[in-house]
Amino acid sequence: MAVQKDKIIIRGLSKTFYQKNKVVEVLKNINITVKENEFLVLLGPGQCGKTVLLNIMADLDKPTEGEVEFTDGRPEMGNLGIVFQRYALFPWKTVMGNVEVNQKFKGTPKEKRQQAAQKYIELVGLQGFENALPQALSGGMQQRVGIARAYATESDIMLLDEPFGALDAQTRYSMEDEILRMWEQDKRTVIFVTNNVEEAIYLGDRIILLGGHPTGVKKEYVPEMPRPRNYTDVAFLKLRNEIVNNTDLVL
Amino acid sequence: MNDKIRKVLYGLLSVSALALFVVGWVAVSHMEGTMLPTPPATFTRFIEVMSAPISKATLPVHIWVSLRRVLIAFVFAVTIGISLGIGLGWSAKFNAFFGPLFEIIRPIPPIAWIPMIIIWFGIGETAKIVIVFIGAFTSIVLNTSAGIRAIDPLLISAGKALGANRRQLLIDVAFPATIPAILAGIRTALSSGWMCVVAAEMIAARQGVGFLIVRGQESGDTALIVVCMLAIGIVSALLSTFLSKMEGVLCPWQFKKTK
Repeated sequence: MAVQKDKIIIRGLSKTFYQKNKVVEVLKNINITVKENEFLVLLGPGQCGKTVLLNIMADLDKPTEGEVEFTDGRPEMGNLGIVFQRYALFPWKTVMGNVEVNQKFKGTPKEKRQQAAQKYIELVGLQGFENALPQALSGGMQQRVGIARAYATESDIMLLDEPFGALDAQTRYSMEDEILRMWEQDKRTVIFVTNNVEEAIYLGDRIILLGGHPTGVKKEYVPEMPRPRNYTDVAFLKLRNEIVNNTDLVL
Repeated sequence: MNDKIRKVLYGLLSVSALALFVVGWVAVSHMEGTMLPTPPATFTRFIEVMSAPISKATLPVHIWVSLRRVLIAFVFAVTIGISLGIGLGWSAKFNAFFGPLFEIIRPIPPIAWIPMIIIWFGIGETAKIVIVFIGAFTSIVLNTSAGIRAIDPLLISAGKALGANRRQLLIDVAFPATIPAILAGIRTALSSGWMCVVAAEMIAARQGVGFLIVRGQESGDTALIVVCMLAIGIVSALLSTFLSKMEGVLCPWQFKKTK
């Protein structure tokens, strides 16, 4: 792989929550460098602060210490593609309404933004459902809307927070293929958060394993396997065991 | 098929409750000294007041007079109530300023306002509309502000992350998310508004169902009283059904389609 430039540099990032009579250290001294156009997976057990980390990157939360540097300058609010675990679609808006909403907030004229939205609706394979309300769609389709909405920000950085966590296994596999297909077709820097080891190995150019109390970076893995990867491949299983043995158990 | 049987069964249950009610009514009305008109007597009186005017108005006109008061009051209650509710739910500053005052005024029963309102506005239309307004607007304010506060924070985060400024966040995210709560408030408000109009009319009015029911009492016309009571109940139920239908139209996302 050609040498890629650094896109996002997370330096010495810590996050502590001060509650009534409790101090909870969630993240401690996180250092991660994200390369341009890479598919980076942040892998960690549930409740380890992955979402907090993502929220800080998205500027929805502030770090206690450290910083997130975007080498091309921090994108303004609304110029970062985010996909949420629980979809976070606006239930009163149609598929089109959801996908175009970012451009609507930015004041793009209706015709232009709908044209752009249409492109992304087609990218996620939802043509024909433009006027459907989210509740009429299955979970997998709803998350496709979520992904199209994030793509429609035209951001070159996409943050995905356990996007397939709420889907059943079959849908999850096909969505994993979908997200790779979209990424190949429309290269962007992807930061994909998951707690699923197989998903991480199947998708990632690089996997950052998070763990410990408070959470820090435990290890970095690079699955040296061509895509599409095979879940039953020896190399796949070997890496899987390695990561699993290094993962904190959450009971 | 099973669903169909269940539907019929439930329908029968509703009908049998009504039938039991009528049977009870017949039984009680035939007892000595109960002063309750029999169902046939009530029905006859109903037919009479449908065409024979009392105080220059037939029953439908009296109902319309009351309804009109409710509807006019409602236009004000809805606009002012929603704005105030959004203010209380959305802005911490506005809530700090106005919240405590509202909490003190809110528990005063609308009927307790009647004497003051009559002193201020006399006994004309305005007084009645103001009373209905007071009765209706508190539940709209409460539901709206509670609805705004209960919005899933994830939707707000999503709105912010998608670049909404504060005004867009309110108009495009918070307000639509609150519509179901507002409609629930309107439904409560409509029934309390309807209650208030009857109460206001019972105290001072020349037309309206509240007036008519008092006229029945004054002239010992129990059949007229019962006719009015049933009319009040039925109109209120119809209004409520109408609003339920409106909810389906205004927020279709609230009703899950079967997949």
